[in-house]
Amino acid sequence: MSLKMEMDVSGVSRAPISVLPAAAAQPAVEAKATLKPEVERPRCSSTPCSPIKSTVSGYQILHMNSNYLVGFTTGEELLKLAHKWSGGTGGSGVDVGSEKPTAGAGASVASACPEAFPASPLRRPLDVGLHRASRIYKAKSRYYQPYDIPAINGRRRRRMPSSGDSYLRPTGLAGAGVGSGEPSKALHGPLPLCLLRGKRAHSKSLDYLNLDKMNLREPAADTEVLQYQLQHLTLRGERVFTRNKT
Amino acid sequence: MSYSYTSREAVCNSQDASSASVSLNGHSSCSASGGIESNITIITCPSQSDAESPAAMKVKGVPVTREEELIKNSVITPEDVLGLQNITTNYLCGPENNVHNIDFTRFKIRDMETGTVLFEITKPPVPESARNKRDLDPSTGRFVRYQFTPAFLRLRQIGATVEFTVGDMPINNFRMIERHYFHGQLLKSFDFEFGFCIPSSKNTCEHIYELPPLSDDIMQQMILHPYETQSDSFYFVDNQLVMHNKADYSYNGGA
Repeated sequence: MSLKMEMDVSGVSRAPISVLPAAAAQPAVEAKATLKPEVERPRCSSTPCSPIKSTVSGYQILHMNSNYLVGFTTGEELLKLAHKWSGGTGGSGVDVGSEKPTAGAGASVASACPEAFPASPLRRPLDVGLHRASRIYKAKSRYYQPYDIPAINGRRRRRMPSSGDSYLRPTGLAGAGVGSGEPSKALHGPLPLCLLRGKRAHSKSLDYLNLDKMNLREPAADTEVLQYQLQHLTLRGERVFTRNKT
Repeated sequence: MSYSYTSREAVCNSQDASSASVSLNGHSSCSASGGIESNITIITCPSQSDAESPAAMKVKGVPVTREEELIKNSVITPEDVLGLQNITTNYLCGPENNVHNIDFTRFKIRDMETGTVLFEITKPPVPESARNKRDLDPSTGRFVRYQFTPAFLRLRQIGATVEFTVGDMPINNFRMIERHYFHGQLLKSFDFEFGFCIPSSKNTCEHIYELPPLSDDIMQQMILHPYETQSDSFYFVDNQLVMHNKADYSYNGGA
């Protein structure tokens, strides 16, 4: 066995990325990771003979044999996805699924992120279908997200992830791995403690407690919010009790 | 059996032969590499007796240590981590401990029986201006997650190639200890010594693992419990911990 390493004076490798001859007989390799798939990939200047296949948090996945490995991701990507899910679904339980825009995705994206749109007295011009779909999703989100934080003074607050969020627990999602265009699959399984603790340890905000920085400046508003939430909880409890009776 | 293409010798010691996966850590923030000389070393890990069960996999003669005790120490040594019996919940050192600017720039694993490359990843250097623009915790770069298929558990011999650069300080006695756990049990512990690394160099090293066959029961459990197979990778220079990376693994093919 022999290896060659070509380098220029700056230490950057010039050697083409080797692909063993046996690789040619392998089934088509699909880079399955939390990545941004591209049709035409630029060639890295340090490896002019090999196209960049995919990127994950600055890493370039050059080869991934799907017979043995179907997904790779980093802690950074996992946290980004977790934050995205918490802001995107708001705990609604709606499976956002693929990040790829599809027909009608405007409706699903808009409606899956109800908190992303601040409450406004002005009615936004929406397509009828979009409006209807967003109404349906909003209704669902209300049901599945009893802790929706309403807008205060025109500023809508984002519910931050908590340990009780479903995406932090093992899900029963079946299907392909991360690289099939469904980054949610990377979250199949709990996030490691080292990621969560590291975030909390370094976080200077109180977001991880589902509180807002405005708490420090606007205590009165928070009291109102908490009272509203408490009333909302009580009402839900009564509704459930009533349902069980029947 | 080991091959060395440089005048520097590297020693590989494996303390556990019942290995189901290879050391797959080694991701850290990228730094610019000066690159004067490239050292290429292939190391074969000798397999040991398979008589010991996973539950009995402890380093003989090394006292048991606990994470809560080690985290109080200003210096953590190889013997300290060799006594750990569980995956750590916290990192035992911070990114700032990597004073030698060791940066892993490429990683590749292949099946030695067929020569099939299973995975290869590289990391281009990050521009100086972009390094401080990260909003996330820098420790997020020290964790990776793999989704393997069940077929991976049946491999017998795997070669793991690691390429890394070092800063402008010479590195004496660069050593890596990687420990894999499943359900609170130590599955395997790898111990590799890279030896001396000259300043501002880019180095490549391949570790060859002899993987013994796993029982169907253990394989089934590892498949059914994704990401409950976890590993800690500890890196030492002059017997002092300088880096700590983590990873977890699933073997259900993402299902």
